[in-house]
Amino acid sequence: MSSPGDIPTLPEHLYVHVPLCRTKCAYCDFFSLSRSDLPLSVDALTSALVNQACAWGERGLSMRPLQTLYVGGGTPSMLGAALAGLVDAIGTHIGFATGAEITVEANPDSIDDQLVSLLAEAGVTRVSLGVQSFHDDVLHTLGRAHDATRAIAAARSVRAWNLDLSVDLMCGIPGQSMGSWLASVEYAIATGAGHVSVYPLSLESGTPLAAEMLLGRFAEPDPDVAADMMIAANEVLAREGFERYEVANYAKPGAQSRHNTAYWTGHEYLGVGPGAHGMLTTATARAAGFIVPEDAARVRYAIACDLQTGLQPAPRADIETLTAGEAAREDVMLGLRLTTGVDVALVERAGVAGLLGRLAGTGLVERSDDRWRLTEGGWLLGNEVFGDVWAGE
Amino acid sequence: MTDPTLIRNFSIIAHIDHGKSTLADRMLELTNTIADRDMMEQVLDSMDIERERGITIKAQAVRVYFEASDGQTYQLNLIDTPGHVDFTYEVSRSLAACEGVLLVVDASQGVEAQTVANAQLAMNAHLEIVPLINKIDLPAADPERVRHEIEEGLAIPADEAVLTSGKTGIGVREALEAVVKHVPHPVGDPDAPLKALIFDSYFDAYRGVVALVRIVDGHVRKGMKVRMLATQTVTDVEEVGVRRPANLPVDELGVGEVGYLITGLKDPSLVKVGDTVTLARNGTEDPLPGYREVKPMVYTGLFPIDGDQYPELRDALDKLQLNDPALIYDPESSHALGFGFRVGFLGLLHMEVVKERLEREFDLDLLATAPSVEYHIFRTNGTSEYIHSPQDMPDPGTIDHIEEPYLKVTVLVPPEYVGPVMELAEGHRASFKDMQYLSKTTVEMHYEMPLSELIMDYFDQLKSRTKGYASMDYEYIGYRTSELVKLDVLLATKIVDALSFIVHKDKAYARGKVLTEKLREIIPRQMFEVPIQAAIGGRIIARETVKAKRKDVLAKCYGGDITRKRKLLEKQKKGKKRMKNVGNIEVPQEAFMAILKVDE
Repeated sequence: MSSPGDIPTLPEHLYVHVPLCRTKCAYCDFFSLSRSDLPLSVDALTSALVNQACAWGERGLSMRPLQTLYVGGGTPSMLGAALAGLVDAIGTHIGFATGAEITVEANPDSIDDQLVSLLAEAGVTRVSLGVQSFHDDVLHTLGRAHDATRAIAAARSVRAWNLDLSVDLMCGIPGQSMGSWLASVEYAIATGAGHVSVYPLSLESGTPLAAEMLLGRFAEPDPDVAADMMIAANEVLAREGFERYEVANYAKPGAQSRHNTAYWTGHEYLGVGPGAHGMLTTATARAAGFIVPEDAARVRYAIACDLQTGLQPAPRADIETLTAGEAAREDVMLGLRLTTGVDVALVERAGVAGLLGRLAGTGLVERSDDRWRLTEGGWLLGNEVFGDVWAGE
Repeated sequence: MTDPTLIRNFSIIAHIDHGKSTLADRMLELTNTIADRDMMEQVLDSMDIERERGITIKAQAVRVYFEASDGQTYQLNLIDTPGHVDFTYEVSRSLAACEGVLLVVDASQGVEAQTVANAQLAMNAHLEIVPLINKIDLPAADPERVRHEIEEGLAIPADEAVLTSGKTGIGVREALEAVVKHVPHPVGDPDAPLKALIFDSYFDAYRGVVALVRIVDGHVRKGMKVRMLATQTVTDVEEVGVRRPANLPVDELGVGEVGYLITGLKDPSLVKVGDTVTLARNGTEDPLPGYREVKPMVYTGLFPIDGDQYPELRDALDKLQLNDPALIYDPESSHALGFGFRVGFLGLLHMEVVKERLEREFDLDLLATAPSVEYHIFRTNGTSEYIHSPQDMPDPGTIDHIEEPYLKVTVLVPPEYVGPVMELAEGHRASFKDMQYLSKTTVEMHYEMPLSELIMDYFDQLKSRTKGYASMDYEYIGYRTSELVKLDVLLATKIVDALSFIVHKDKAYARGKVLTEKLREIIPRQMFEVPIQAAIGGRIIARETVKAKRKDVLAKCYGGDITRKRKLLEKQKKGKKRMKNVGNIEVPQEAFMAILKVDE
């Protein structure tokens, strides 16, 4: 921790955004480009990302070994061997703490034994595999480039090198039956993954899937079906020793994502790469040269998506500031997504103790052991609570 | 005082959007009444809503001086009238202040329903009609066809019709020359006691009620004691003047002149449009013809979304009424919506405009219930009463019969749309009267139908079924007996009084069914299941269910999603704020208007 007079230190959590995908999936509205649209070579992209991360050290902030690194996208595995180089370079220039969690996202179609070996060598400890489904029909609807066989092979490679494996799954997809959904959950467990994320498909406007829906080619996803599937997955995973520790995330004991947990518990993090977000305390933000209003306690920034300028060492960023009260309310909101909930001291600081007391009457939240949590019944209805929390008393 | 032979009082009448107000602006420009730099688009329509919608709601009067080609300078009083059928009485009083009208017809649209209606009003008032074909600069302009339509359809000679463009200013001078040449000058007795027509009034926060008047006989000057014949109100004249268009005090208004009187009265209801002003002592006892009390035709409940805004709503209505005496309101309370007002309007446009002004100028969030008409209930015990809210409907067992207001509706439409218009009429309990060809391209159709059906989305549907070609006008023809029942709507088995409506017996079942279906779409899923039922006198005739909400959470919430998620929650919250909480059920505003959309 820094004391007055110290040079503020860099956050211990770093997110690197790799804006590269083989093809755009039908449901995705994140920023990414195909390799042919990328205005620079893969190597140039990788070194630009590393430079951007290192540039934080040149802003008058002292470096600290990272507790977690998360390379997301896009599809980082599309970088191939350069992805290992990126992790290695960050380790060299910024450094990893002992036992650091180093995650890379990968798609089954762009990861194989050889890449896994390079990643393991570079220090990667965890691979988050974008499987979504083990059913080829469903994968086709989503516009994914892989099939089930490929997904199983990719998972096997990750496990063969003894890396932690997380599998992403998606439910509520047009044409997906409850049977096929539960089969996918069971496949995911069978891969030996210690971590599973479960998302309902959300239709983002402007995506091909949303367009097809408008044209009537698919029925609109029924929110009740998605709810049934999420509940069914919860049961199957619990039976197999997975604890739901966040709305959409399940882990075997000790296998929770430490990087994502940092997002949900009010820790600072850096984000680099086009479209990446970061969160800083005002002290860090000011030391880094952001102009921050007097009453702000927290700064969120987003790197501009423009790839050309976005990869300059000092990129253009949109910033948003939160007061101490807003930051506390945000922490309550995010903390309530966790099964551990939030402690009463934070709730007091956020000024929402009375509100949560009233909401307890609706059966959505409960208090025990000096912590507030969503109830089992409130698990899938969090927005009913979060909206009020964010608005304050 | 100006020699009456050098005065011309005229009005411009037109169908909506035929360019009346722009043309009036050009006339002010041409006569240097306002300097260019002061020239705001459409000076005469001074309310924001008037300007935005291109409609005239309040009458206006402007005096201009025009040097005609005969070398004489004439005093022209241009009286701009509301164009919409809601304000027919106001139009008729404005016309009564004139000797002639400029009948403006769009060179591409041709004669439309309000053209016919306004021309008829002018003919009934024995005014000289000078036809004017406007917007001749448009590529689609076809003045020859329109000339023909005016002659055939309206029986008004149009060979001398002035061709104008309000946009470019073409023909504006010629239009004023035509006014001087064709419109008769006013005639009156300067030695008779004062006799003046009030054709509009407005409230000035500092000066009280200001009446716009046309002097028929005698004269008026500051300091005189005057009397209004209908209300028998006596007051001092604090100021007389003319509008140029700002108020300009003058010493005196004489025979044929148009101007304003500042009365100093604080109560606008004492100064009524159509009333006659005379001397307090030794005045005339013979009022000008045509005066009547204006009566609201359409009623709706207005409720603040936030119950705390009730006092603000009352203040706002008080303030609006100062300038709009046709607006009436009484407190109304609803189990579902709390305290609000039952507000009476001249028609649907009037209602929309008032609601919009309340929300915009007074920053209120309002919920309006479906409009209703005034029903005449005859009881079995021989008594009768008027009700204008479904809530006031007595026990059906005590009702002998019910009467409702009927209209004569005129629709002008190209011949190929006669079928769709007939079909629409059938669905609205309209009985077809007759139809005639005004020209090869225009058919005039007449119907008689209940006002309650007209306010059921009839006009929007008429427009959509005729691809926008139909135009419509109507007049009130009195009360007729109908078999009507009250239909209640229940949410979660409780009657929501604000959703009740009165409907013809034969249509009750179908409308109840469609309404419950519509409400199921409109009412968002809640934390619990919400049954929606329609019932007549306790008998359920339709039922739908809004299922309980099971999932409302954003699954993905990582570093980059947090800001976006907060924004989403804020938006959701805002949406909820716009809804009305009815017994724990969040009901969107459009639910209360859903009945208007049931025959789609």
